[in-house]
Amino acid sequence: MSDAATKTKTIRTDYLARVEGEGGMRVRMRGDRVVDVQLKIYEPPRFFEAFLRGRQFTEAPDITARICGICPVAYQMSSCLAMESLAGVEVDGQLHALRRLLYCGEWIESHTLHIFMLHAPDFLGVASAVELAKINPELVETALRLKKIGNEVMRVVGGREVHPINVKVGGWYKTPSRAQLEALVPDLEWAKAASLETVRIVAGLDFPELEQDYEFVALDAGGEYPIDRGARLVSTRGLDIPIAEFYDHIVEEHVEHSNALHARLRERGSYLVGPLARYALHRGLLSPDALAAADEVGLEKVVQNPFRSIIVRAVELVHACDEALRLVAEYEEPAEPAVEVVPQTGWGHGASEAPRGVLYHRYRLGAGGAILDAKIVPPTSQNQRSIEEDLFAFVSAHASMPEEELRLRCEQAIRNYDPCISCATHFLTLEVERE
Amino acid sequence: MTTCVVGVGNELRGDDGVGLVVARALEGTLPKDVRVLECEGEPVSLLSAWEGCERTIVVDATQSGAQPGTIRRIAAHDGPLPPELGRSSTHLLGVAEAVELARALDRLPGRTIVYGIEGAVFDTGAELTEAVATAAALVAASIRRELESGR
Repeated sequence: MSDAATKTKTIRTDYLARVEGEGGMRVRMRGDRVVDVQLKIYEPPRFFEAFLRGRQFTEAPDITARICGICPVAYQMSSCLAMESLAGVEVDGQLHALRRLLYCGEWIESHTLHIFMLHAPDFLGVASAVELAKINPELVETALRLKKIGNEVMRVVGGREVHPINVKVGGWYKTPSRAQLEALVPDLEWAKAASLETVRIVAGLDFPELEQDYEFVALDAGGEYPIDRGARLVSTRGLDIPIAEFYDHIVEEHVEHSNALHARLRERGSYLVGPLARYALHRGLLSPDALAAADEVGLEKVVQNPFRSIIVRAVELVHACDEALRLVAEYEEPAEPAVEVVPQTGWGHGASEAPRGVLYHRYRLGAGGAILDAKIVPPTSQNQRSIEEDLFAFVSAHASMPEEELRLRCEQAIRNYDPCISCATHFLTLEVERE
Repeated sequence: MTTCVVGVGNELRGDDGVGLVVARALEGTLPKDVRVLECEGEPVSLLSAWEGCERTIVVDATQSGAQPGTIRRIAAHDGPLPPELGRSSTHLLGVAEAVELARALDRLPGRTIVYGIEGAVFDTGAELTEAVATAAALVAASIRRELESGR
């Protein structure tokens, strides 16, 4: 090989801002051909798994809530469900309705943050939410108000906005009064109108071309759009298993370039979890107005362009507002704030739909409810292979794009997944190596 | 003057949690009209914490390469945080960005003071570094004085 052919051009750029946490990405190219894409954006929460060992089963919701400042409710719910399923307890009726309401608050808050503050700047050609606020303050004000309403739902139901303290295995420490929930209605109605408008706004953005043939995986929660629970895991290619069989069908593999584990389906390889998957599998379970909003903007029934996930997130925002309003309207104060959960020895499995996708927890309990083993599989570690495949396809198709634009588009492609990498190692760097 | 003091950070990531340590040290020791808040999520929520406040003091960990425990006090109402701090906040949509977002939307309290405490270790599960713990006590004392003197 000549000197010129082996010369590697490395462009190191600033870390990828606006993703929760830090990480890195490297694209290697030979001429205009992509040779390899390596992403190291997410390390699974192994520290927490170790920290949980020896703790009481009742402590899992509070401990795992601290894994993520954006989606603490997801961690709380998946851990509660795991403990309850092992004990043979189902939290239902109004106790369940409150969980779903709390989770709607998290969806509103998290989806809003991602749509407006993190992802929209990519589409509008501005560097950040700060720049967006300068050119379109009304849009950012709308986002702040929407986010605040999500936070308010979390505060009223969960006791606190960030790490709700009112959640426990079996239900709640204290349930809210009807009047407390009814006070949320005017804000939720405003949020719904703003969400409908958001669908129209984001549907009008320009979307880079990319069509991927994903296997979509989401929970199945019977007759409801999966949010706070789901007994089965289903896919667009026929996967249909009880949650307890998660590890029979999905493997987590160590990848050489990072400490992360990448999940894949044993049979078929990469898969995708999150809004695109929920929408593809459960579109018919969206609220009538969310569905009408999707139809109004011509959203396809199965979205295969990952850049269009921003529209699906906005549709889910409408759904979360509708669900919250419905749950508040139907609320009756429960007689007891929780059901008793007597710990059993054995393996417990629980999963819920974090804003970013399926979050699976598995615990092994010993005598007296002590946690002997904990496994947590967050959505971002399941999506990492799909993100790498998207980047591979996108860079391959746009190899002649100017370096700077290519870099920005790659960042945008990563943000399609709303990756939660808050517990990863520090800052994401992006390198494009041309051989 | 309506005032809030906000500690920002993640206590399970070593020195990252120093803002929370300062907030907890101040809790219950300040005049009744001063709200003390902890921000463990993303700092965009600072904007709602500041609503209706004329004065705010924010404490966060920094990672700029300075000596661990280095304290910086910046009057953010006068202008953006210095670049070496702006992007070295350990939260990517960080305090600096929240300040600028608030400024762009005319939501920044008239007096906005940011204390940065340089951290050394940000690993999950790490303890607070000694130099950083010492700095936290100094910053708490400084904030108390600042609020008493109305500086």
